[in-house]
Amino acid sequence: MDNVYPDNESTKVRDADEEKLIGQLLDYFLGAMGVVADTFVRDDEEFGSLIFEIDGEDSGLLIGRRGETLRSLQFIIRMIARRQLDRPVDVFIDIQGYRDRRYRFVKNLAYRTAKKVIQLNEPIELDPMPPNERKIIHQSLSRDSRILTESKGKGNTRYITIFPVR
Amino acid sequence: MPPESEIEEKNIEVISSESMSEMVEYIAKALSGKPEDVKVSTKQNDRQITITLELHEDDKGKVIGKGGRVAQSIRSLLRVAAVKTNTRAILEIK
Repeated sequence: MDNVYPDNESTKVRDADEEKLIGQLLDYFLGAMGVVADTFVRDDEEFGSLIFEIDGEDSGLLIGRRGETLRSLQFIIRMIARRQLDRPVDVFIDIQGYRDRRYRFVKNLAYRTAKKVIQLNEPIELDPMPPNERKIIHQSLSRDSRILTESKGKGNTRYITIFPVR
Repeated sequence: MPPESEIEEKNIEVISSESMSEMVEYIAKALSGKPEDVKVSTKQNDRQITITLELHEDDKGKVIGKGGRVAQSIRSLLRVAAVKTNTRAILEIK
């Protein structure tokens, strides 16, 4: 792929290291605790950072009383990541906390993007999203006969394209 | 011969105490300056698992943390593992 923004390269590489390490640490700890959960990385533009989201049947247990367990997990991972990367690292883990806010945001995004697709009569690709958010998009637009939604890609990079119906 | 469910439960307990002590060791080694001096031992009494963590004197501050925050966090992760296996986990730091 063409690298259009060479100046951003170093930032991107650093972020990728960070993302990989935090993801590995998170998966390790969930496994070590015997917790059944999925993890997904989200680049939250509103929040301005990567958020590691945990979803699964043990969510309540992982959040803990007043979020204590979630904070502990976040804290331990941050300490280890800082140590290993030898620089300050911020780690944000979320367990269904953003859900409501995110739900409204994604639904709104679906409608706004669909409107644009119809106006331009051209498909638009959305950023990768976790399964629950892709579902919101599909559902929000399923009744609109002027457009079609389709998911592509694998795992964490799976994203939706909205197509105009000609 | 014990019923199958009992065997399974025993296995879960063994796995849990092993992965708990492994997790403690992993965190302690990752945060300490002298990981070779990190020692973890486990004692199990029925459903109670006691994990003893031994550290180099210089590493106590790093692994226990300011106001014991790291140690508290390790305990809170151990609690999750304990709940999942219906056990009780105690962490002692020496």
